[in-house]
Amino acid sequence: MNMLTTDMVPTVLATGDPARVDVEVAPKFKAGDTVTVVNLNQVAHNRLPAYIRGKVGTVTFDHGVFVFPDTSAHRQGPKPQHVYTVVFTAHELWGDAGHPRDRMYVDAWDDYLESAG
Amino acid sequence: MNGIHDVGGKHGFGPVLVEQNEPYFHEEWEGRMLSMMIACFAAGIYNVDQFRHPIEKMDPRHYLMSSYYEKWLCTVEQNCIDAGIVTRAEVDARHAQLMEGKAA
Amino acid sequence: MTTDNHSHANVLIPEVGLRVKALESLLAEKKAIDPAALDLIIETFETQMGPKNGAKVVAKAWTDPKYRSWLLEDGTAAIKSLGYIGVQGENMVALENTPTVHNVVVCTLCSCYPWPTLGLPPIWFKSAPYRARVVIEPRSVLKEFGLDVPDDVEVRVWDSTAELRYLVLPMRPSGTENLTEQELAALVTRDSMIGTGVAQSPSH
Repeated sequence: MNMLTTDMVPTVLATGDPARVDVEVAPKFKAGDTVTVVNLNQVAHNRLPAYIRGKVGTVTFDHGVFVFPDTSAHRQGPKPQHVYTVVFTAHELWGDAGHPRDRMYVDAWDDYLESAG
Repeated sequence: MNGIHDVGGKHGFGPVLVEQNEPYFHEEWEGRMLSMMIACFAAGIYNVDQFRHPIEKMDPRHYLMSSYYEKWLCTVEQNCIDAGIVTRAEVDARHAQLMEGKAA
Repeated sequence: MTTDNHSHANVLIPEVGLRVKALESLLAEKKAIDPAALDLIIETFETQMGPKNGAKVVAKAWTDPKYRSWLLEDGTAAIKSLGYIGVQGENMVALENTPTVHNVVVCTLCSCYPWPTLGLPPIWFKSAPYRARVVIEPRSVLKEFGLDVPDDVEVRVWDSTAELRYLVLPMRPSGTENLTEQELAALVTRDSMIGTGVAQSPSH
């Protein structure tokens, strides 16, 4: 354990935990791809909110390679993979309760997405 | 996990209550909790995902009733126990001692 | 089925501040933390982190078209150039509000928030009502904040589920053509950078 001392505070606050990793991993998707969100119901940690599971959206941006929370939370390694922003229509997520113009943008790791194309 | 934390789209929570001129910390211990959370992270006791998971595993009633800093206490304490730095019994005993001191 | 005897009081940790103190003292004794470093973290948050940082980013984007393009293209680099990258704001994305698009940010799973640019989140941002509702009924939530978004404007809700943090670039208010960057920054509210508000007009 490396105790945080006062001299380290400015660096720690300025650096944080980027979670971005500098490894080459091939992306499964690219902007414009239509994707279906996996219907994940694992007890383990994940960052996949229930309201998008099973829904169809479009990849808008590839943010690069990040640590995967599902394994990282359980000391099972970083399993680095791409993170994308995926856009959903309000209608896709909420049916008639969604405003026809509105869109929800959610960030998702590669393992959370399957091709719907 | 399908925990209580995953609230997106749920009905019934009522209006969003906004506190005007909200202070940075409502109580002194909140600042201690924030800084302890960062110090323990910097010491390598947990990463961001290990930090989040115990909050998701809180009793749903406790999760909904507690402030964010109380949730942070739960996960920092749990992570420090899991890392073998403290035991629950030690924290319980010190907590009881401080409460007795206050009551006296 | 057993009867649920839990009252609100005994669901919460009693004397929670004292339990925080208990944990801090134990961790200090075991050399896991240095209380002086904790003091310095608190001081740094109180003096150096807050929406005034984000306001400077916005005011610069309003006055410098090159910076604006850079901010929208690579938020992390553009914000880093002003010194506001760090813990819980390591990877930044700026979202531009326009006459036809209104952006609003939430973290439904916890309370992720860009600390270096906006400071610590207000309680409402961390609260279940905001996190639950803004994704399913953004327009009624925005209305509670005093924003009546017209039907022909698209509302974009951004749920920061990963390690990207979002900063809304609000529209520059009219009648501000002659203001300096510093004067403009004073019009940029915290809520306008979350998307639950708009920048103040100079007459305010």
